[in-house]
Amino acid sequence: MSERAIDARGVRKSFEDGHIQALTGMDFAVQQGEFVAVVGPSGCGKSTLLHLLAALDQPDEGEIHVGGHDLRRRKDLNHFRAQHVGMIFQLHNLLPTLTAVENVQVPMFEEGLSPGERRRRALALLDAVGLEGRERNRPPELSGGERQRVAIARALANEPAVLLADEPTGSLDSEAGRLVLDLLERLRRERNLTIVLVTHDPEVAARADRVVRMLDGRLAPAEEPATATA
Amino acid sequence: MRPPRGPWTLPETVSFLALVFRNLFRQRVRTVLTVLGIAAGMTIVVALGAITEGLRITSAEFVGAGGADFLVAQEGASDLTFSVVPADDVERIAARPDVERATGALIEVAELGDNPFFLVFGYDPQSLVDEPLPLTAGRVPDPEAAQEALLGARAAADLGLTVGDTLTVDGEAFDVVGLYSVEDQMRDSGAVVPLSTLQRMSARQDVVTAIHVTVAPGEDPDEIAEAIERDFPQLATIRDVDEYSKVDQGFEILDAANLAISLLAVGIGAIGVMNTMIMSVFERTREIGILRAVGWRGSRILRMVAYESLLLCLIAAALGIALGVVASRAVLLIPSISAFLTPAYPPDIFLRAVVVGVVVGLLGAAYPAARAVRLSPMEALRYE
Repeated sequence: MSERAIDARGVRKSFEDGHIQALTGMDFAVQQGEFVAVVGPSGCGKSTLLHLLAALDQPDEGEIHVGGHDLRRRKDLNHFRAQHVGMIFQLHNLLPTLTAVENVQVPMFEEGLSPGERRRRALALLDAVGLEGRERNRPPELSGGERQRVAIARALANEPAVLLADEPTGSLDSEAGRLVLDLLERLRRERNLTIVLVTHDPEVAARADRVVRMLDGRLAPAEEPATATA
Repeated sequence: MRPPRGPWTLPETVSFLALVFRNLFRQRVRTVLTVLGIAAGMTIVVALGAITEGLRITSAEFVGAGGADFLVAQEGASDLTFSVVPADDVERIAARPDVERATGALIEVAELGDNPFFLVFGYDPQSLVDEPLPLTAGRVPDPEAAQEALLGARAAADLGLTVGDTLTVDGEAFDVVGLYSVEDQMRDSGAVVPLSTLQRMSARQDVVTAIHVTVAPGEDPDEIAEAIERDFPQLATIRDVDEYSKVDQGFEILDAANLAISLLAVGIGAIGVMNTMIMSVFERTREIGILRAVGWRGSRILRMVAYESLLLCLIAAALGIALGVVASRAVLLIPSISAFLTPAYPPDIFLRAVVVGVVVGLLGAAYPAARAVRLSPMEALRYE
């Protein structure tokens, strides 16, 4: 049996002094190399879960292990993010002043790589996401799908084991969205990536190995851990 | 095939500094206006520094005029030309065994044509025979002649006079009998007339302005200067320009003005930079969230903002230095100033501008950078 890439137990998270309960004792596990889609109505806590897994925020209670790292014990969460998870957002969130290849290098600054190594790795990633020949284009010169592919390349910059995607096709037309999902599937196979993808779109969710439904800050009854991690 | 690079496209490897540079020039008009605002302050700092330094050098040249070891003048005079030294003191100092030569000089500022600051030096004519000025034309004045004058090379050129012409100062006519050329700009831009004549003209009988002192061979000028200050408490000795403030508070005033302008430049500049950087950080809140999300540490965010601010100010400093040099040269277009001043550009006035730039940059970056670092990635990512 493969290792768990993500293991979250009893995770609670509230906002506005407890008035908004985003996660209410969430248990969530993902196997290494698994592609999991997280679905559920708006406000059910999907994005909050993703942000906690990415160490962008801290849970009020509970424990989260990603890639074997206990996030409660990590002091250097920035370093953790740079090293172990890649984030993809609904909006590409690329730096508009930088070209595609430069954007891909942004996460590598913290890794102490030589300029040559950064360039080599960024060009290889852009080739991997099918953007050969578009390296020197800035985001405004790229289509929505191309921008999202640059964002995927950026997320893979430091070769993370886990890719977290928050509505990655939400702002794309269906064809561009399909291409992005094809790409994610291919990258998952080639790199044995673990992917957690948050989406509203059932068609997108259907591309995953497993679909997890959330409701009111926790897994929906049908997705309780016994079945969810089977 | 890869498209050609645009004018702002750097090589495929982006450096941290290139990122900083491009961030700064996203809002070019705002950046340029901020740079101009800071550069204006720097221009004044540099121009005033160059002019002050030029005046110092001119004064220093006068201190050592004629190969003298030091100058003696009235302690605490507000300006060298206001110094009053009894003529008796010249003789007493000259009579010291450790002094080889003591030459009294009376300095009078006269209005001559368009120049309100024409310097007239009164020397004992015999001293001009004993220690002649380097003449380029004519002869040394006759010790018995009361209305003969020597004219400095620069003054002769400015006034269009030569040997045989008449120089009229405060209604007194002098025959120009010789032209001299000396290193010190004060005397080269002025005239030398008999001491007694100038004393009468300026109603300053039996006094001189300063004494040029040359010590006897083998004597230590510093020791002799200290001895003279002990023996003549009302007098001050000036061995180099740093001691000039003993007899001329003008430099202290200029230095104080320069410091005040530097502080104003720092204060106003820092506010301008802070405003620009706050706007810049505010506009890039979401981007900063992205940078945190991809793993950038707070220290790198802080450095990014601080470097942007520093780069802004260093560009302003470079521009301010260039404009300051131009402004200080432009002052020379005024003949009465160019007669006695050549701006000087020692490295420290440029260093001062750079230091002001760095201080402005750091002060201006402090709050915006702290704000950027304090942003939680989540807050920043939610920002629209």
